[in-house]
Amino acid sequence: MSLFQEYFRFDNLSIFVGIFVWFFSILVTVYSMGYMRSEKRTPQYYLYIGLTLIASLGAVFANNLILFMVFWGFLGLLLYLLIGFGKNENTPATAKKAFILIGGTDVLMLLGISLVWKLTGLFEMDLISIPLTSKLAVIAYLCLAAGAFAKAGAMPFHTWVPDAAEDSPAPVTAYLPASLDKLLGIYFLARISLEMFRLDSGMNTFLMFIGSLTIVAAVMMALIQHDFKRLLGYHAVSQVGYMVLGIGTGNPIGIAGGLFHMLNHAIYKSCLFFSAGSVEKQAKTTNLDSLGGLAKYMPVTFVTFLIAAFAISGIPPFNGFVSKWMVYQGILETAKTGGKLWVVWLISAMFGSALTLASFMKLLQAVFLGQPAQGRKLAAKKENREVGILMWLPGVILAFLCLIFGIFALAVPLKHFIFPVILEPIRFFGFWSAGLATILLIISIVIGLLIYFLGRVAKLRQTDPFIGGEDLKNNPQMRISGTEFYNTVQEIGILKIIYRLAAKKIFDIYEVSSKITFGFNRALSYLHNGVLSTYLAWCLLGMGILFYLLLR
Amino acid sequence: MGANVIPLFVVVSLSGAFLISLFGRKLKWFPDLIGSAFTALLLLLSLYAVKIVAEAGTLVYSAGSWKPPVGIVFVLDGLSSFMLVTVNLVAFCVAMFSINYMAKYTSKWKFYTLFLLMLAGMNGVLITGDIFNLFVFLEIASVASYALVAFGTERHELEAAFKYAVMSTVGSLFILLGIVFLYSATSTLSMADIALSLSPGKHSGILMLVSILFLMGFGLKAALVPFHAWLPDAHPSAPAPISAMLSGVLIKSLGIYSLCRIIFCVLGVSSQLLSILMVLGTLSMLIGVFLAIGQWDLKRLLAYHSISQIGYVILGISLGTPLGIIGGLFHLFNHSIFKSLLFLNSGAIEYTTGTRDLKKMGGLSEKMPITSTTALTAAMSISGIPPFNGFWSKLLIIIACVQAAKYWYGFWAVLASILTLASFTKVMKYAFFGNLKSQWAMIKEVPVFMKLSMIILAVICVFGGLLFFPGLREPFLLKASGVLLDAKTYASTVIRLVQ
Repeated sequence: MSLFQEYFRFDNLSIFVGIFVWFFSILVTVYSMGYMRSEKRTPQYYLYIGLTLIASLGAVFANNLILFMVFWGFLGLLLYLLIGFGKNENTPATAKKAFILIGGTDVLMLLGISLVWKLTGLFEMDLISIPLTSKLAVIAYLCLAAGAFAKAGAMPFHTWVPDAAEDSPAPVTAYLPASLDKLLGIYFLARISLEMFRLDSGMNTFLMFIGSLTIVAAVMMALIQHDFKRLLGYHAVSQVGYMVLGIGTGNPIGIAGGLFHMLNHAIYKSCLFFSAGSVEKQAKTTNLDSLGGLAKYMPVTFVTFLIAAFAISGIPPFNGFVSKWMVYQGILETAKTGGKLWVVWLISAMFGSALTLASFMKLLQAVFLGQPAQGRKLAAKKENREVGILMWLPGVILAFLCLIFGIFALAVPLKHFIFPVILEPIRFFGFWSAGLATILLIISIVIGLLIYFLGRVAKLRQTDPFIGGEDLKNNPQMRISGTEFYNTVQEIGILKIIYRLAAKKIFDIYEVSSKITFGFNRALSYLHNGVLSTYLAWCLLGMGILFYLLLR
Repeated sequence: MGANVIPLFVVVSLSGAFLISLFGRKLKWFPDLIGSAFTALLLLLSLYAVKIVAEAGTLVYSAGSWKPPVGIVFVLDGLSSFMLVTVNLVAFCVAMFSINYMAKYTSKWKFYTLFLLMLAGMNGVLITGDIFNLFVFLEIASVASYALVAFGTERHELEAAFKYAVMSTVGSLFILLGIVFLYSATSTLSMADIALSLSPGKHSGILMLVSILFLMGFGLKAALVPFHAWLPDAHPSAPAPISAMLSGVLIKSLGIYSLCRIIFCVLGVSSQLLSILMVLGTLSMLIGVFLAIGQWDLKRLLAYHSISQIGYVILGISLGTPLGIIGGLFHLFNHSIFKSLLFLNSGAIEYTTGTRDLKKMGGLSEKMPITSTTALTAAMSISGIPPFNGFWSKLLIIIACVQAAKYWYGFWAVLASILTLASFTKVMKYAFFGNLKSQWAMIKEVPVFMKLSMIILAVICVFGGLLFFPGLREPFLLKASGVLLDAKTYASTVIRLVQ
């Protein structure tokens, strides 16, 4: 038992994250039983899912940094293998990219752990407490944070997330990039930022900068996407910004907000990816241009998607609103301690939230509302149109949680999971009364429904949609698909340049470093021309240098 | 048995070579049997050697009962037994792999003869306590390896073997020159005796000169940058099992082991020399991996990675701290396992598809599950992904760099590790992942012995990290690193045991 306690730790934070690791594993397994039913290699798939669960629990509960690193690094390999189950043409390249970014930062973490050990002589997380006064401590913190950022998908290591979202099976995306990797990445960021290192205001500002940048940049990219899952992938990046921002504020309410947002994000983002997977399963595509009008055929999926979309956009009374609200309060709190940049952080967080809503409007229009694309037919039998219970049930559970965690935020999740983690007392600047607001909302919805049904009493004529007298069915080019909603943002001044550079992958750390690497490679390959006398000349030259160095 | 076991390492492998050349031409099954059985015997003997060294400490055997400095001694200490296990373990797996793999070549018996001859040379290098004897064994192993590189007798194989022979001979020449200088200074060839006769004050000039000659000679055998250029030509041209031997153990026993043995135990280390070794190690690490990442020939890519990984080993050892030396030696062991496994995997692919070009492969995991799983294991090991063995040794090396306050070296090690991962995910992507190309629709998984040897090595990759855990590390890794840490006692121990 003592050996066990030496290497593992069960405190409020790890138990809270551990519970949800279990929870998401169960939901994903259930969903996979529907989604992966007709796939090859399913035993391996479930083996990897199981191993991921074990490794995640190991990483969450490990107290020894080396042990933590073993589990954490192994998760990167599992992610790589799980992405490999996708069937797109680009899947191997995506898996490779994800693994290089994650595995690469993992090695940086090894350097960070070595530096921590050099500074303290300890590997036990609960005993370490390093002030960021020396250069080494800062480097150690940054190395460890890089690992957390890559896992969670914060900038600048985020570029694997959208690719993985597009090219891997939906349950895998819902499982790793959307929920578990976020839980673990932010968990570790919280561990290092709150316990192992004592951050100063400079580092906090840096974290908030990373957070804000991630929020805005990723949501801007999300606006212009044409693929359902890829668009969600960019949101998976954008939302990480709120968590980093929350933790970066360094005050209890902000940190609580960041952690709560981590949980909420895992809930609604998994739900969104489950919906995307269901749509993909039934419609056989995720391209927004060829989707549309699915609300009629897949009502359950539509409703769960709608709830999760409201939650991610931060609309009350859903859970995303509460955690974003807490993060905003955390930012306001930093203003008191003399930070002058809080306006920037606050504006970018709110701006990001608005753009999130905007891009989900686009998704709703393109996938569920609007007109079905030309020539597409859903499954002929009506009962086949909605997915089976195994696939809609997890989404429904998650959508339900979005609601519960929003309305009863103080009573359930915050009280049981989040506040025990933050030992200091938390003060709200007037928390909104969720109960009253919810009742008002419900009343307004009921009234709305009443009006709607009363209106239906009158006889209506139903007809196919038309524009300018032209029937839409016969003129598919007049269909409003929703994909072009925000294409014009690409034409605005400076944004035009940024989008063009982004299209060239200038901001993709993976692409940039691979260009540099291959530059070195070409230069060195040029020197290796295969001529024996050249090689011999090098040997002698090398020996000459050695002679010079040692005998001078 | 005790010390009498020591010469068996040379005797068994030499007699295997002899028997095969005698009967192998007539009896088709004979070379396969002797090859595997004798290497298995050698593996058991080396495990036994670890056991007796752990119990009784260093052992010395005087050949023909002639005492040094006149006679030749064989010395078995922690480092030798550690290296013997590494070499013979890989040799056993390679011999087993060759049963199926070499069937497509004519005159298998010649192959096994040369193989066992090379093994005899390597084992001899590891146990000898006489510096000229070391040179002789080194030449036996080298000459056998030239012939093995040329074994396919195609145009490019002969060219590679020629280059290899020329470069390697140049290296041997400088080693011989170093030995000559040492002999002229001390009038003895026994390593223990030389170590005792050298006094830093009197011989400092000659010590420096000899160190440089050895650094160049053994550095060339170990393929340290800038003496590395022969390796990417020579190693891929040999038949795959031999590539596994060359990259897996030959460069280590002839290069790293001999260099460390002589520099640490005989000449005595200076901080100047260690810092030069550190620079060379880091250069090898980075240049090797930068060259590897752009290759499309699978075996050539692996060969460049050998240069890079040798850099890690040298970096670890040349830190000179206990942790660094343990890390370096552990990485040496791990590298022999996963690199020989990777070469065997490339051999398996070549066996079924006939190509080494990554661009022509694709989706092979569907048809060759064992090869692809073992290749994944080895690739993860070399990239340092936990919990595979390469992770532990890289971790030790990085921690050792930081502990010694060589932060930049730690960073370079990290960078090389990231690039290694990148280049092996490339291998996995092009060879095994994705959709199966139509021309490979009919291929089958490799035969049983090839599978078996790959599985053995993969299992060691998975569980190799356990060797560092308390209980297992004392007889193996700590004994080996103890020899280098306590190098000054080598000479006195040997002399005391002979008396």
